[in-house]
Amino acid sequence: MPPFGKVLVANRGEIAVRVMKAIKEMGMKAVAVYSEADKYALHVKYADEAYYIGPAPSLQSYLNIQAIIDAAEKAHADAIHPGYGFLSENADFAEAVVKAGITWIGPPVDAMRAIKSKLDGKRIAKMAGVPISPGSDGPVESLDEALKLAEKIGYPVMVKAAFGGGGTGITRVDTPEQLQETWERNKRLAYQAFGKADLYIEKAAINPRHIEFQLIGDKHGNYVVAWERECTIQRRNQKLIEEAPSPALKMEERESMFEPIIKFGQIIHYYTLGTFETVFSDTTREFYFLELNKRLQVEHPITEMIFRIDLVKLQIRIVADEPLPFTQEELNKRARGHAIEYRINAEDPLNDFTGSSGYITYYKEPTGPGVRVDSGVTLGSYVPPFYDSLISKLIVYGENRAFAIQAGIRALNDYKIGGVKTTIELYKWISQEEDFQKGKFSTAYIAEKREQFLKYLKQKEEMKAALATVMYERGYFKKAMQAQQTQSDKTTGSKRQSGWKAYGLMAQSSPRVLW
Amino acid sequence: MKVIRVTNDVNDVFTLAYDQRNKKDVVKAESNEFEIEYIGPGWRDGEMLFKINGEVHRVYVDNGYIIIDDETLFKIDRITETPVEEGKSLEEVIKGKEGEILSPMQGRIVTIRVKEGDAVTKGQPLLSIEAMKSETVISAPTAGTVQKILVKPGQGVKKGDLLLIIK
Repeated sequence: MPPFGKVLVANRGEIAVRVMKAIKEMGMKAVAVYSEADKYALHVKYADEAYYIGPAPSLQSYLNIQAIIDAAEKAHADAIHPGYGFLSENADFAEAVVKAGITWIGPPVDAMRAIKSKLDGKRIAKMAGVPISPGSDGPVESLDEALKLAEKIGYPVMVKAAFGGGGTGITRVDTPEQLQETWERNKRLAYQAFGKADLYIEKAAINPRHIEFQLIGDKHGNYVVAWERECTIQRRNQKLIEEAPSPALKMEERESMFEPIIKFGQIIHYYTLGTFETVFSDTTREFYFLELNKRLQVEHPITEMIFRIDLVKLQIRIVADEPLPFTQEELNKRARGHAIEYRINAEDPLNDFTGSSGYITYYKEPTGPGVRVDSGVTLGSYVPPFYDSLISKLIVYGENRAFAIQAGIRALNDYKIGGVKTTIELYKWISQEEDFQKGKFSTAYIAEKREQFLKYLKQKEEMKAALATVMYERGYFKKAMQAQQTQSDKTTGSKRQSGWKAYGLMAQSSPRVLW
Repeated sequence: MKVIRVTNDVNDVFTLAYDQRNKKDVVKAESNEFEIEYIGPGWRDGEMLFKINGEVHRVYVDNGYIIIDDETLFKIDRITETPVEEGKSLEEVIKGKEGEILSPMQGRIVTIRVKEGDAVTKGQPLLSIEAMKSETVISAPTAGTVQKILVKPGQGVKKGDLLLIIK
């Protein structure tokens, strides 16, 4: 028996499609919601039912709590899955869902409220024994206080917005002068972006790795940690490539984090999925807790690959009161191989990763052994400029890291997207790059390698343009187009082949024809 | 020798100096030069082989897209021959005149932080362009004086449009 009859997915793009796949597999009906810009989107077509929730800007659609609840009631949905981003970590939304008598596929509302800001998370982390980085215990009230504290813990420090998320509201500061400069500006920006101006400071780790741990808990007090994901390859605090397990960790180091993380979960009576983001230093071998993400992560597939589990189905089963199907020991034994996820963003790496919107006019997806594609687009899809630039995720699996990278290079070569710019060419370069292959990198990787990959990408683009020009000027392009046309006429049995019929019709319709 | 402007499906504009020789063509782009030669049909129907700077590449055309080595793709959206203005060197045509600030992308001008006649230092922010919800700041590539501003806040710009001139 499926736990629910109908589940509404309050999200868009690749994650909506991915969640619907789990819903369909479990024998339930999937309901989509969509904005004006997503009328013809893949997630809308893939769902069993779809409801319009408002104009393109997300504030009026995917962030509109009332509109989504209304759609759920109209559809008679039994449960709502929020995906990631948008309203997924919004306690008010979760509460509204529960109040409407619908099951919330996510952590309990109380637990979400308990760690509303990053500072709450830090406080509970300290109680649970999860290592935290030195810094302020609460919001820092004034610039003077901030300067004093920064002096005590030593520069560089990070100035963070307590209510920030998704990599925004974080600034690194190296000197007291910079701190003075940033303080008021960040306060204002934080207020504009998150509605709360609270800032805090903590010591900045130098060239750290970004490693996150996956906590899974059920309603019966059972917890496991599904190891970690290494998310170090980032630009401007936005992840690009993730992998599991981390090439940097030893089993003892990994296991040392399990107990405190489980304790954290117990303190706030957490269930479903939670992700502990930490920074890890290669030299000191220490973790520092950053924040707890109370949702399904973008990069969840790499964990699914190495453990051969389905985290979305697990999430749904957990909220339907089912117990965890495995213990920590059993889970540890399941771990096998290595998985890498490449986030295919509609962005231009040659132009500081600015977004690229438009219609997908060419689309070939890679398939085959060790390849999984979680895509939100297909040929003819429109990539609107209003939302996140992530359009698809390429996940590859190999028996070990080297094999996973080989599969990655092959699949990236097979992945062809036209009509919008993507990060695919950049990932091809990274996958062949020595430091990446050796697993030697920090969060500064993209910044450090910038010159090199820009040169490579520029050369490749210019080469393609030059070749296209030669083909055009010498008539090879036209010849190839004509050859393809006759070929496709033959294979598709195009009507133009049937000359006789066309002639017959024309003859009859002409008034001058006399029998 | 011709100057050719190619626009692809994602609105990138390439200005190329194209020199057709007997069999080999030489194409000069902003930062690279390519020697390209057609060496014959490939193994499969519709496949062509080109030698680019000494390396052989397999090429075929699918749905108007040029597919190179079955790995990367390119589409010509527009291709035009541009006349070379008198007194302009080839370098200037390809890279734009010195001091001309071109838009690196399609978007909308948000703010302009300088006035005509302002002295600017290298790296000073000149204006910002918004595209896909993010703001990109365009900074001065050299020190000088702002001679002319050709755009207004709120105006939409295409990639390659002239924004302002620094002397």
